[in-house]
Amino acid sequence: MGGGVTTALLLVHGVLAAALLGAITHQAASVWWPARKPASSFLGRFRSVAAPAYANAVVVLYLLMVVLGSTIYPEYRISIRVVLEELQLRAANGSFELKEHFATIGLGILPTYWWFWRQSVSGADATTRGILTAILAFIVWWNFLAGHIVNNIRGFGS
Amino acid sequence: MVVWTVVFVSAYTLAVWNNYALFTYHAALYELVLGVDKAKDGPAMYWYGWIATSAIAAGLAGLAACWLPESLTRRIWSGWAWLVPLASILFFAWLLRGYFLR
Repeated sequence: MGGGVTTALLLVHGVLAAALLGAITHQAASVWWPARKPASSFLGRFRSVAAPAYANAVVVLYLLMVVLGSTIYPEYRISIRVVLEELQLRAANGSFELKEHFATIGLGILPTYWWFWRQSVSGADATTRGILTAILAFIVWWNFLAGHIVNNIRGFGS
Repeated sequence: MVVWTVVFVSAYTLAVWNNYALFTYHAALYELVLGVDKAKDGPAMYWYGWIATSAIAAGLAGLAACWLPESLTRRIWSGWAWLVPLASILFFAWLLRGYFLR
């Protein structure tokens, strides 16, 4: 794959990551920190969104992220990881290794997450839905930050 | 769905731990080899193969779960769907601790 194509895909990957981060953070906040009354503040409005409405967007964005990420991943392995190893940036390298595994765990969670969000649940199932959302939010945040750190070290134009 | 998540995440964790990759991708050579293959010119990528192994295992388990009576599948605790991924996240953090602790 040409460098220009990889850069373009990386840019799209980054933009979609921001959208996914917003969607899952809104949803997780509304589940774990719901607004009790009509919100007037920025944080209150952030928490008072209709959480189920985000589920489809999260699933589609996550799948797009995985497809794009796995398309540009070989370029990372060939050109970037070697440099991180040479510079002995072990924490940055390890963060990206975890990103790879966390992304796959998120892929495994996704169908169950979607299934629990497309129906009204209560009791243990509501807890499961909330925890799945929190785990997915953690994965998305980790992967976003790890990707950005590596991009800042050895990203566009290096 | 719970069965899919539990089996997919467990199979992926096992696949990484024991390197059960269905195929290996030699990125620098644009070459795909069935099974686990050593690095040639450039890195050998197993990640895609681990995902394929896990997806097949989870797909088969999901199909098997469809054949089980509903009275039985209803008894499956939905919490397995988050407990297993959480354990897997902690396992990978432990597995890769060397990157952060040295």
